[in-house]
Amino acid sequence: MTPASAPIPSTTWAARLAPRRWLGPVVLLAPAGVWLLLLLVLPTLLILEISLVPGLRLGQPSGGYGLGNYLQILQPVYLRVIGRSLAFAVGSTLLCLVLGFPVAYWLALLSPRRWRNLLLVGFILPLWTSSLLRAYAWTTILRPSGVFNTMLTTLGLPAQNWLNTPTAVFIGLTYSFLPYMVLILYASLEKLDTRLLEAAADLGATPRQSFWKITVPQTLPGIAAASLLVFISTLSDFVVPTLLGGASSMNISRLIYNQFLGPTRAWGFGSALSMVLILAVSLAIALLLRYGDRNTVTEA
Amino acid sequence: MAQTVRAATAAAVTQTQPDVELRQVFKTFGADLAVRQLDLAVQPGEFFSILGPSGCGKTTTLRLIAGFETPTAGDVLIQGANVSAVPAHRRPVNTVFQSYALFDHMTVKDNIAFGLKIRHLAAAQVRDRVGDALRLVRLEPMANRYPAQLSGGQQQRVALARALVNRPAVMLLDEPLGALDQKLRKQMQVELTTLHRQLGITFIMVTHDQEEALALSDRIAVMNNGQIEQIGTPSDIYDRPHTPFVADFIGDTNLLPGRIDEAHPAQVRVTTESGLRVLARAGNMSSNQAVVVSVRPEKINLSLGAAGGNGNCYQGQVSHLMYLGTHLHCIVRLSSGESLTVRQPNRADTPIAVDTPVYVHWAADDCLALEAA
Amino acid sequence: MAGLAATNCRQNLSGPSAGGGGGDDGALHIYTWANYTDDGLADAFTERTGIPVVVDIFDSNEIMLTRMQAGGGDAYSILYPSDYMVSEMLELNLLTELDQSRITGLENLKAQWANPAYDPNNAHSIPFCWGTTGLLYNREVSPGEPIDWDFLWENQDALSRRITMLDDMRETLGATLKSLGYSYNSSNPAEIEAAYNRLLELQPHIAAFKTTGFENELLGGDLSVSMAYSSDAIALTLEDDRMEYIIPDSGASLWTDTLAIPATAPNVDAAYQWINFLLEPETASAAVERLYFATANQAAFERLPADIQNNQDLYPPEEVLAKSEGIVAVDADSTDLFDQFWTEVTSA
Repeated sequence: MTPASAPIPSTTWAARLAPRRWLGPVVLLAPAGVWLLLLLVLPTLLILEISLVPGLRLGQPSGGYGLGNYLQILQPVYLRVIGRSLAFAVGSTLLCLVLGFPVAYWLALLSPRRWRNLLLVGFILPLWTSSLLRAYAWTTILRPSGVFNTMLTTLGLPAQNWLNTPTAVFIGLTYSFLPYMVLILYASLEKLDTRLLEAAADLGATPRQSFWKITVPQTLPGIAAASLLVFISTLSDFVVPTLLGGASSMNISRLIYNQFLGPTRAWGFGSALSMVLILAVSLAIALLLRYGDRNTVTEA
Repeated sequence: MAQTVRAATAAAVTQTQPDVELRQVFKTFGADLAVRQLDLAVQPGEFFSILGPSGCGKTTTLRLIAGFETPTAGDVLIQGANVSAVPAHRRPVNTVFQSYALFDHMTVKDNIAFGLKIRHLAAAQVRDRVGDALRLVRLEPMANRYPAQLSGGQQQRVALARALVNRPAVMLLDEPLGALDQKLRKQMQVELTTLHRQLGITFIMVTHDQEEALALSDRIAVMNNGQIEQIGTPSDIYDRPHTPFVADFIGDTNLLPGRIDEAHPAQVRVTTESGLRVLARAGNMSSNQAVVVSVRPEKINLSLGAAGGNGNCYQGQVSHLMYLGTHLHCIVRLSSGESLTVRQPNRADTPIAVDTPVYVHWAADDCLALEAA
Repeated sequence: MAGLAATNCRQNLSGPSAGGGGGDDGALHIYTWANYTDDGLADAFTERTGIPVVVDIFDSNEIMLTRMQAGGGDAYSILYPSDYMVSEMLELNLLTELDQSRITGLENLKAQWANPAYDPNNAHSIPFCWGTTGLLYNREVSPGEPIDWDFLWENQDALSRRITMLDDMRETLGATLKSLGYSYNSSNPAEIEAAYNRLLELQPHIAAFKTTGFENELLGGDLSVSMAYSSDAIALTLEDDRMEYIIPDSGASLWTDTLAIPATAPNVDAAYQWINFLLEPETASAAVERLYFATANQAAFERLPADIQNNQDLYPPEEVLAKSEGIVAVDADSTDLFDQFWTEVTSA
């Protein structure tokens, strides 16, 4: 190459580069795309197909396509299971929010700054232990002869047999997902512009009014994100209802498990239930994105 | 509550009672003394500025008045009532924040209505007053926009309206124009003075911009190191600074440290450290006192020949020269060794260039001997 | 959950290791119930044959079947299906027909397993052990001594949420059928529905449907009664005096767990070696002394100490066995009914 004698016109370079412009995005996105296609899209389509074969059992001949599996879900007993799953999810999400917000608020705005990271790590630590072990720990705490009842009776309060009840499921779910709630709320509250709180106080707002009119709306995207994440996780949680709920707490993921790995092996019905769960979770995620979007607009 | 504070004090009000008064106020943050021994009184209707370099305690002072800080010692009084222990939301003052601190999740209208709604005013009244405020700051078309959709100047006016609409006894302004560009700043300065005249309420403004303070204020407090150096009208501050710091901070000046040889009433003769003998205006001072002579660049005249008269006249040489259009900015090195900054009108009668030998001279009344710090 | 009950360190606690072709590594991959193998047994086999043993655990026949159907067919050389599951897997062609010439020691089996109904002539499975399904209870906290299944219904308030039933459709619905005087293997829709309704009545008082993992709570007195397989129950009664196991008066289920080789098994030679190893009286009796299951091997039984031989929980007298019945596969319509009612009763 002798650039001095034969300078290459820049347009030639541009022309050569132009067709490759699509290459960058493709190269960057292809691995994740293939991954998603193989491990998310195709399996989901497979589940969808199986869900459309009524009465499908593995190893047995099946009839044609139909909506039988979905109609089966409409039976009261299964609607109750779905209702129970929603109740677990909504209830534990609210509990997480009510318990988590003050903690996150204190951590983000009030705690001594130099201890803050340590405190945060301390609170998030449970995330790093196995959810199975944590649920087991709660069976030990909640069983009639467990730590919880020992405490109650020591205080002169009546003992409670909460293990294998929905109460235990609420406790277990709240405990499991509280750290997520706190972590997300903390991130949101930490970004809160405290000058806005001063401005509100300056305009006559009491601390309580400032909280409801400024802090909460300002952190609403965080509240929504944290709540929806916890909602999605609790809606489809399997471990806690199984270990702590006993016979009282059949929820949708346990029901799905039983269709695939239980005695009935009703893969068609199980797939239909899975589609319902996938739909519910997708809906929640759509809400999350939409909510997030509107807030980014007003934020920007 | 703000109303009751005002009502309670209204009865006791005398014509001369200040709107805001600080008495011997100290404020420490840990080991740092942010303000000390602050005494100031702001009269009703005044446009009062607190001026100083960053870190001088001026913003802390404003926050003490607003109620975001409580004094470590001393008292804060608003309209005669001691509010030292009263939280911010119960003080009859409103603040325009340096960053505006607009509520970005609310429209312009809702931002302005915030204080009124908090006080549970009737909806119709809120609507009327918000409408008035919007008109006052000329933002009616923007009522339903969000702060993020406004320009800096518009946001600034929303911040003003949000404070004004509450009809506070005192408006506090924390570097209100600091975030605006030069041109908008000039325009908003005019708007601020207009508003102040229209509303007739007390304005207390914190600024580090001496020009802004001079242009807008009835009186200025100059702060340094947590203390007030001087309180006075703009011309007091500029023409009759009490301390070398004030002289230096407000406008440009040349400071020549020295000692008084002869003290007369209103005039002294000073020998500077380099041996220059200077006649200067002064208050009650005695011989042998350490002083600093301040002479402003625009009061110094340059000429090619020695000037007569009884003023101060010294020989020197131009060492630097900057052409600034309306005038020339020169640094003249005197034969005694000192350098003086001189601002010379851009006229044809004094053709000077670097290295030109010149004489500098000024009247005794145009320079001031200040007690050395 | 299956794995958590296991105490054997060689057992794979995180679920089946055999995602695909686990048998190609030369090891013998076994898929079994929790308490049928231990390190002693596996080490002895490895010492003898040089073949390492990898054990995965299931806690219901159905989980095992599903894994075998869903791509796990070539992962194991030895399975331990129960009787009715052998029939079901035969129908699905999932088991290898055994080459009897490669098996030694068949003559050691008890006479009653010479030609079982679930697998005529043991053509595809070798009976390994057997047992009953009854009630295990803690004498200290139980409101009485159960004699029959009725005990649960009669004392449902006192026992409320102090009962666990097996997470096993055929066993639990079958026991309920039995409590009504019907057969475990009823294919009469009315009878099955009656059992469903009876179980539904008990449902709110059932703490959990569990096949394993009730032991600690039972020992601690948090549970009073657990429906249990005799193999699990007896180990606990020997461990703790307060634990009692009964075979209900109206009859229990009589089950046989077998050894079988999957149709697509790798390493078939090792599988035969394992079967022959377990048929040896010495091996079988040594395992029984450690693991307390009822062996189907007469020669091994005869080698056992008298106290084990006379343990009536382990080896019930003939009149008790006469009232009990084995669970066999039922017709498709009845299977549907069982499935539907089981799903509903566990979802209630």
